Amino acid sequence: MSQTIETRRAASRKLLSAGRKLATSLAVIATTLLGLLIITFVVGRMIPADPVIAVVGDQADQATYDRVYKEMGLDRPLYVQFGSYLADIVRLDFGQSHVTKNQVASDLARVFPATLELATLATIIGAGFGVPLGILSAVRKGTWVDHLARIVGLLGHSTPIFWIGTTVILICYANLGVIPAGGRIDIYNEGLVEGPTNSLIIDSLLAREWDVFWSALHHVIAPALILGYAAMAYLSRMSRSFMLEQLRQEYILTARAKGLGTRPIIWRHAFRNIRVQLLTVVALAYCGLLDGTVLIETVFSWPGLGQYLTSALFFADMNAVLGSVLLIGIISIAINLLSDIVYRFIDPRTR
Amino acid sequence: MLRRHVILLSSIAALSLCAPGLVLAATPKDQLVVAMDTSSLRGLDPNEINQLEAAEIVANLYERLIVLPAADISKPQPGIAESWTVSPDGKTFTFKIRSGIKFHSGNPLTAKDVEWSLRRLVKLGLAPSTDLRQWGFTADNVEKLIRATDGSTVVVETPEVWNSNLILYSLASFSTSILDSKFLADKDKGGDMGREFLQTADAGSGPYTLRTWRVNELIIADAFKDYWQGEPKMRRVLLRHIPESSAQRLQIDAGDADVATRLSSTDLGALETGGKVTIQKTPGFGFYYLALNQKDEILSKPKVREAFRYLIDYDGLAGTVMKYYGIKQQTIVPAGLPGAIDKNPYKLDIEKAKQLLTEAGYPNGFSKVYYATPVTPEYEVAQSLQANAAKAGIKLDLQGGDHIGKFRNRQFEIFSARSGDRLPDPHAVLQSYATNANNTDEAKLVGLNAWRTAWDVPKDIQQMVTAAAHETDQSKRAELYTKINEAYLASSPALVTSFLRTDAKAVRNEVKGYIGHSTWLTRWDTVNKGN
Repeated sequence: MSQTIETRRAASRKLLSAGRKLATSLAVIATTLLGLLIITFVVGRMIPADPVIAVVGDQADQATYDRVYKEMGLDRPLYVQFGSYLADIVRLDFGQSHVTKNQVASDLARVFPATLELATLATIIGAGFGVPLGILSAVRKGTWVDHLARIVGLLGHSTPIFWIGTTVILICYANLGVIPAGGRIDIYNEGLVEGPTNSLIIDSLLAREWDVFWSALHHVIAPALILGYAAMAYLSRMSRSFMLEQLRQEYILTARAKGLGTRPIIWRHAFRNIRVQLLTVVALAYCGLLDGTVLIETVFSWPGLGQYLTSALFFADMNAVLGSVLLIGIISIAINLLSDIVYRFIDPRTR
Repeated sequence: MLRRHVILLSSIAALSLCAPGLVLAATPKDQLVVAMDTSSLRGLDPNEINQLEAAEIVANLYERLIVLPAADISKPQPGIAESWTVSPDGKTFTFKIRSGIKFHSGNPLTAKDVEWSLRRLVKLGLAPSTDLRQWGFTADNVEKLIRATDGSTVVVETPEVWNSNLILYSLASFSTSILDSKFLADKDKGGDMGREFLQTADAGSGPYTLRTWRVNELIIADAFKDYWQGEPKMRRVLLRHIPESSAQRLQIDAGDADVATRLSSTDLGALETGGKVTIQKTPGFGFYYLALNQKDEILSKPKVREAFRYLIDYDGLAGTVMKYYGIKQQTIVPAGLPGAIDKNPYKLDIEKAKQLLTEAGYPNGFSKVYYATPVTPEYEVAQSLQANAAKAGIKLDLQGGDHIGKFRNRQFEIFSARSGDRLPDPHAVLQSYATNANNTDEAKLVGLNAWRTAWDVPKDIQQMVTAAAHETDQSKRAELYTKINEAYLASSPALVTSFLRTDAKAVRNEVKGYIGHSTWLTRWDTVNKGN
């Protein structure tokens, strides 16, 4: 009987502890997002661009200016504006973009899948090539393979992505004609597939519109390869470094002394121990790609989140800026949380 | 073995993605593809927009009472109004509305729609409403002054006598587009007269209907089959958002775009020598100007202002960065309009500038903060001036950025930018550059460049500008404008004009009938590709 009570108490303590952890996590997330919004809101107000002029044009008379100023709620104190914005956010209302005139939520639902599509593919390419390359480089340290891998990595890390994009377009589009110029799809296939995910690749697959699917894939491949190359450069350097650290450990020496082959040593032992670190850097690279594709989006006329956010910043479209920043924050937190969950599966020590 | 197969299959898949056959480098014969920077596009309500790109779209979705043909914009032609008369006192304009015109909704276009649309422009009171409000129309008087007297007649009365061209030109502007009032009645939200709906939709009768608008990505307009002048040859027009000049250049060169609208001088030059495209230079009605704030003690001295005129490298810039963007002009009435004169007496002369500065009491020069927009070619022009000024002893701290708000509020020392008026009449430019009825800060005449510059324009010039706007005799008017032009040039103005704005577009040779319009109303229904 007393054992049952003890078991129940233990279970309730566990539940309470889990609840506390959950509450702490939620509080941390909420504080992070609130901090992000406050900083963006304040910095946004310091941008020299005048949001009213961005709407009415510089030739508008003072009466028009004043009226739109009021319509945009800019006549209220800053804290009131922010409070009202927060109240709207709680109701999941991101407000209207002064530039696009759409609801920010609907704009984000349209532009984010484009970036997600690009960043996901780039991360797959980057991790798919970068991690094996880094490991190979570590295993063959000091050989020509290592030097070549390091040069490839260094180039990818140090060459401006904007320049790579422009050069690829110049050679592969203008001279060789093997890639399309830009955009997400050929004009012939425009409007054939709409929704539900706004990812043209997925939507065309769901709709079994194969022409659209190939066109979408054809358009995404060059920007994804370039972004993937940049990610690969980072991931190969990190993988090499993680792997080298493991290869210097005594257990590796022991394994070698026991006569275990190189492949089992690398993949069964060393690699298993760097999975958590690798997952962290892959997650970081993915986050970086989700909010940092603006240059490649501009070069390839890719209508994604980066372009949307830049344009919004240029025209001081604060609802759009705040909505985009919030989305990026949420996605980054979600990826981090996901990484934490995956850690628990691949490394029992983190449970 | 399996691994080799995977590698082989992956390679085939990768190669197939890059197969040359998939890249179709030619636009369809019945579609027009325009490469455009649409990032500044804010809605498509004709009564709200005020940008060149948006105006071109609105010009094709809607129609107006009057048409100003691209070939000769000074001669108003019938549009929705098949004819019009002007009363002997010059204050009443009576328009006879063409019958048989349908809106995209299928509703017939009537005089009531014209009345509603023009009243809406004034009542909403947004930026383009200046097109009518500047002639005395207000939300209070517009119901009385603009009215449909029957199903096919609209009467427009002006509170004062203005030259009739000014009124007719205004009624040809994109802002006076005719909207489908019956259709929009169902779209009204809290008395907004369909404003929210029209941000991303159309309610016009123009040759094209809006099919798709994905912001900063793509706009698709389809030909309107029931268009009263016949279905346009291009069944679809696609406007692709391509912000990068180099990307626009590559696409038009490869044939993936028919028209490119935002190109740098370098790219325009390269395309011109390539021979596949024609560069269209459409003269506008604005200027590249230098504003010297007259609240500043040094800059308010006429000799200092005069010195700046000798520090601009007109000829050097004309052959380089301004080759496609402007035509050298130091006077104030835009070339091609009544009163324009071909007189450019100033040239780069550092010694002369130094001499003027010495006479003004500044032999060692001075330092000033100089705001300029960091876009081509404005910034290059600013950098050139900065370099020349340094030679004369003037240290200009050039700061790029969006400073138009500071210019509007007189919070600057030196500012340069480009203006763009839409009325093909000297009055539009002169009103902004050469009138300033009240030079106090409180007056807040922020729409006028002269007020922004705190320039108390000589009274004789201001009087002549007002008199010319009211003058009904065209030849007397032209004489007045010539006098104004001369007087402005001689006044050492605080607003120094250097180049008349031109808008350059690259058009592929096989595209016929795409003609840049000086009042931003470029039409697509005149376009064909030899079919």
